[in-house]
Amino acid sequence: MAAAVVVLLVGAAAGMLITLASVGSPEEAPGQDSIDVGFAQDMRVHHLQAITMAGMARDRSEDTEVRQLAFDIESTQLDQSGQLSGWLTVWGQPTLSPPDQPHMRWMAGAHTHADTSGVDLMPGMATSEELMKLRALKGTEFTVYFLQLMLRHHEGGLSMATYAADHARLGYVRNLAQKIASGQQAEVTLLTTMIKARGAQPLPG
Amino acid sequence: MIRYPRHLAVAAACLALVGCESQQQGSPVASGSSSGTSTSTSADPGFTPTEDNQDPTKKIDGVLAIEYEGAQHVKPTERVAYDHKPPLGGAHDAVWAPCNGVVYKKAVRTENLVHSLEHGAVWLTYDPDKLDGDGVAALEKRVNGKPYTVLSPFPGQAEAVSVQSWGRQLQVAKADDKRIDQFIQATRANQYLTPEPGASCDQIDPDRFDQDNPPPFDPSDPGPGAIPVTGR
Repeated sequence: MAAAVVVLLVGAAAGMLITLASVGSPEEAPGQDSIDVGFAQDMRVHHLQAITMAGMARDRSEDTEVRQLAFDIESTQLDQSGQLSGWLTVWGQPTLSPPDQPHMRWMAGAHTHADTSGVDLMPGMATSEELMKLRALKGTEFTVYFLQLMLRHHEGGLSMATYAADHARLGYVRNLAQKIASGQQAEVTLLTTMIKARGAQPLPG
Repeated sequence: MIRYPRHLAVAAACLALVGCESQQQGSPVASGSSSGTSTSTSADPGFTPTEDNQDPTKKIDGVLAIEYEGAQHVKPTERVAYDHKPPLGGAHDAVWAPCNGVVYKKAVRTENLVHSLEHGAVWLTYDPDKLDGDGVAALEKRVNGKPYTVLSPFPGQAEAVSVQSWGRQLQVAKADDKRIDQFIQATRANQYLTPEPGASCDQIDPDRFDQDNPPPFDPSDPGPGAIPVTGR
């Protein structure tokens, strides 16, 4: 019986080594075309726009509840954006994706928003025209449009966060992706409630 | 009745095989990692800043490199006697121009944009008399929606297109010159060349610099009262 257990344990140890060899050691940095790098670069760009919009609402909204939520979103995503650029620096990768590279090509296996060629504008991102409209609005109109843009922005980021939570190689990348997915999913509910409480509806899909 | 004993057998095997759990976790990770290899990019990693390659512009022909001291601020009523057109560093307004993928259709005040360079932005400029609409559209595509980039006309510059980051500049005749993308990859938010890595490119004060109604470019000579490029 004892001999059988030893054989089993040796077999298990060998299996672990084979598994480690096939995915790389945890110390090995993910490469230029990896899911980990693609997620970190694209989610950083996605976050930076949310930080832009939230900063405007924190400065300009006359609605206390919205100003508080805006500060929460701005400070959270600023910290997460810093984590993403810190990882990319350690991995020897660009902290922003190269200028001629479409977004979301790292999600080629997802068969959802992006096909293998990627996209120029990620789901949920506001266009330059929409941001200009936001800057021009005042009072309740500004507050409601901010909530509508931020709701669509959160929803758009979910597919990236969920895919990375399932498929990134490094555990700390999967963890942050999972936290972003679950945190933003909860805020999607909150933002929807806040929009309706102000007599408006989410932007048409 | 069939499923239950099989479930028990798997549980028993896992109890005996201590490595079983980690093998199960490892398997989907491995398949996810390998599927990422289909997303190859055209970018040359040699232009990415790293600890061993802090200034990749050294590999790009025709880049001007000058070291400037940061944080020399001037008032909105003051002008700086810059040493290059467009400038690539030096004293600047206390308020930066929004530079998070912003396209300025009209030329704007230089002193604000130099502050944007200090925050890690790449500033693309063109002479409207030397670049046609297709060329301008090609530059806009590189900026629209791209954090830490900004585009504006700069009347009177020597070449059709000029690209500058803090302390670095590339001037080229055509908007499709491949060195433009190489320069952006090498310098945008480069944590070694940027005096203030991580600083914001968002609008700080619309009363001092309104993204949608920015203070205009001043083509005149800055005059004898101008602040030196090295500051006071």
